[in-house]
Amino acid sequence: MGFLVTTLIFIVVGIIASLCARICCNRGPSANLLHLTLIITATVCCWMMWAIVYLAQMKPLIVPILNETE
Amino acid sequence: MHLLYGFDLQLNDGKSPFQRTFVNQVKRCAEMSRKLRFFKDQIHKAGLVPSPNPASEPDVELEELEIQLAEHEHELIEMNSNSEKLRQTYNELLEFKMVLQKAGDFLVSSGNHAVAQETELSENVYSNDSYADSASLLEEEMQPGPSNQSGVRFISGIICKSKVLRFERTLFRATRGNMLFNQAPADDQIIDPASNEMVEKTVFVVFFSGEQARTKILKICESFGANCYPVPEDLTKRSQIIREVLSRSSDLEATLEAGLRHRDTALNTIGFYLSKWTNMVRREKAVYDVLNMLNFDVTKKCLVGEGWCPIFAKTRIQESLQRATFDCSSQVGIIFHVMDAVESPPTYFRTNHFTNAYQEIVDAYGVAKYQEANPAVYTIITFPFLFAVMFGDWGHGICLLLGALVLIVREKKLSSQKLDSFMEMLFGGRYLLLLMSLFSIYCGLIYNEFFSVPFHIFGHSAYKCRDATCSDAYSVGLVKYRDAYPFGVDPSWRGSRSELPFLNSLKMKMSILFGVVQMNLGIILSYFNARYFGNSLDIKYQFVPQMIFLNSLFGYLSLLIIIKWCTGSQADLYHVMIYMFLSPFEDLRDNKLFWGQSVLQVILLLSAVIAVPWMLFPKPFILKRLHTERFQGRTYGILGTSDMYNEEEPDSARHPHLDEFNFSEVFVHQMIHAIEFVLGAVSNTASYLRLWALSLAHSELSTVFYEKVLLLAWGYDNIVIRLIGLAVFAFATAFILLMMESLSAFLHALRLHWVEFQNKFYNGDGYKFKPFSFALLTDDDD
Repeated sequence: MGFLVTTLIFIVVGIIASLCARICCNRGPSANLLHLTLIITATVCCWMMWAIVYLAQMKPLIVPILNETE
Repeated sequence: MHLLYGFDLQLNDGKSPFQRTFVNQVKRCAEMSRKLRFFKDQIHKAGLVPSPNPASEPDVELEELEIQLAEHEHELIEMNSNSEKLRQTYNELLEFKMVLQKAGDFLVSSGNHAVAQETELSENVYSNDSYADSASLLEEEMQPGPSNQSGVRFISGIICKSKVLRFERTLFRATRGNMLFNQAPADDQIIDPASNEMVEKTVFVVFFSGEQARTKILKICESFGANCYPVPEDLTKRSQIIREVLSRSSDLEATLEAGLRHRDTALNTIGFYLSKWTNMVRREKAVYDVLNMLNFDVTKKCLVGEGWCPIFAKTRIQESLQRATFDCSSQVGIIFHVMDAVESPPTYFRTNHFTNAYQEIVDAYGVAKYQEANPAVYTIITFPFLFAVMFGDWGHGICLLLGALVLIVREKKLSSQKLDSFMEMLFGGRYLLLLMSLFSIYCGLIYNEFFSVPFHIFGHSAYKCRDATCSDAYSVGLVKYRDAYPFGVDPSWRGSRSELPFLNSLKMKMSILFGVVQMNLGIILSYFNARYFGNSLDIKYQFVPQMIFLNSLFGYLSLLIIIKWCTGSQADLYHVMIYMFLSPFEDLRDNKLFWGQSVLQVILLLSAVIAVPWMLFPKPFILKRLHTERFQGRTYGILGTSDMYNEEEPDSARHPHLDEFNFSEVFVHQMIHAIEFVLGAVSNTASYLRLWALSLAHSELSTVFYEKVLLLAWGYDNIVIRLIGLAVFAFATAFILLMMESLSAFLHALRLHWVEFQNKFYNGDGYKFKPFSFALLTDDDD
């Protein structure tokens, strides 16, 4: 699955999570904003982590060279 | 926050503790709590367990309680001293009995040699009534002028077993060998009064001749702490004395028992009420401490206090004050009046169980200034995330998750218990641990490490042998034949020779990217701070040049990293960055990553160079200009006799003052800030490389334990060796990887937040809002 597709999946998961948070724990505007911030931050962090590792492996400059003992 | 009469109090800060009004009451409370501590000690020493009386008695007044406590203490002290004395007497009797029993044997044997009949009285003779008989017997035998008599006399006594050898040697030397030393171990152990524990004692008899020898021996006995007791030579007298001693000691024993029972009853009755009394005294002391902070206005006969309260609580406070007036049926109501304040209010963040731990770790560095942006909001996610980047192993993450779940499930039970400090910290951070473990599982899946073993969860590897024989897999390597592995690091890398170069490059670049993003977030938060406080100067002359400087250098580096990954170019990024500064107009040749790179680099370099004086110079000059504009014509100072100040309380928080504008100070401050930012941009970015370093360390440790312990032990067929290997692996994982590495990653993630993230925007020079609360009274005295 390509880069863009998985990015879209992350975005969708983030949106679903914020909707769930809004539905399940709707506790006043300040708490709602906090929950939204948390979910967006978490989504961005997780996406960045995945994207970095994915991009680094797209066109690698070196390949695995097996060890003699294996 | 409103400044008002009533709460978090500051009025009497100037007065010494001895001038305050309720100091006597506080002293009385302190004295009462000392007595209560004494009772608790005594109960504990007696080995009783205080069981609180379930029936609730009516509350006692403080004065009555004081009198009761004094009585109890007096009674207890008296009982204790009495039983001390009795116990001492009892001990001596016991020792005398042992001496009589054992020494009798020596004397029988020595009495067969026709020795002189004199017996010596030692110094420690009992003058009790029951010894009247024995004393008279002994007196009869006292010969006049015994010092002139030669002949063998003896001294009998008892000494600690550990000192016997030295004692004997000293005696030998002192009497130049002219003595006979007989000893026998006592049958029972005796309580040594000094150390209050059972020691073994030895009964001894020293035969000697001469008066000088006698004095020497007695002195030596005294110095060694040996107790000497007189033993009559005559057998009948001895047995008579033994009988007397036995009867007296059994009497004493009964008396001691009775005394102990009496004391235990007294302690038990105290123990019923002890916790209730302790609580009461503690609360009263806290109330008096707070009352001391109020100002007692003698003329108006009222107590005046200033404090802070949150705005949302205002109506509740007014209601409570009305209720208090009603409850104590006072005639004058409590006046609650909102004032303006000059000084900065305290900071109050309302937290719940979950967010409390994060707020605590942010506050540990510095409490936020009133109304500035709270970094804890982002810390809730970024702190566990950075921890996980350094910890990434989903096997270890699952272990942490189990631990966190155990703590959370037993939340109610554990919060009511009193825990020791390590468990308390762990329990306080249970939600922290939960998030840390969840992110660790995620990062572990990305790094593809389960106790350092990779799995093919997300499909086949992207690499395979070039041909069917895999002949050159060990020299040239595998070949990439499909798209990149869809989620995480390809499992083919683990165990290969080029694993470390690849992972190092990946993780270093990842650290730089995370670092640049988090620092940018920090600078953006400083923009929002400046906007909230209406500080357009900070926006124009601090936020903008900071963004330009950081992003034209390290933002550009991040861009290069991403372009290099996407295009697979062989450009050397170190070379690009360094020569961007050294020779910006030179041709890039192999290091060209995209079209227009040279031009862009020159532009970025120029922006960075312009940004430095931009953040250094304008702000101090503009501040100076603003200050002279505002205070033009006010150089003579403020007249302080307007009417509104007449009704002021003397120690009010409103002190009008005029700001002195010291240009050199402001300029130096700005210079320090600018230099800190410019140099910090490089050092902070490099600091984020610890994300790489710790994750490498974790992965290597994990690999070593797996390959060199578990696999090695599993290679043998022997079940014992396998079990031992498993046990060593489990211990090493638990203590080194789970505990030590967790602490290490926790600490470094925390440092990254406190220093690299927060120094871009955080002031952290506020103070916390600490309202008075009975529930928060700690057991300081215990």
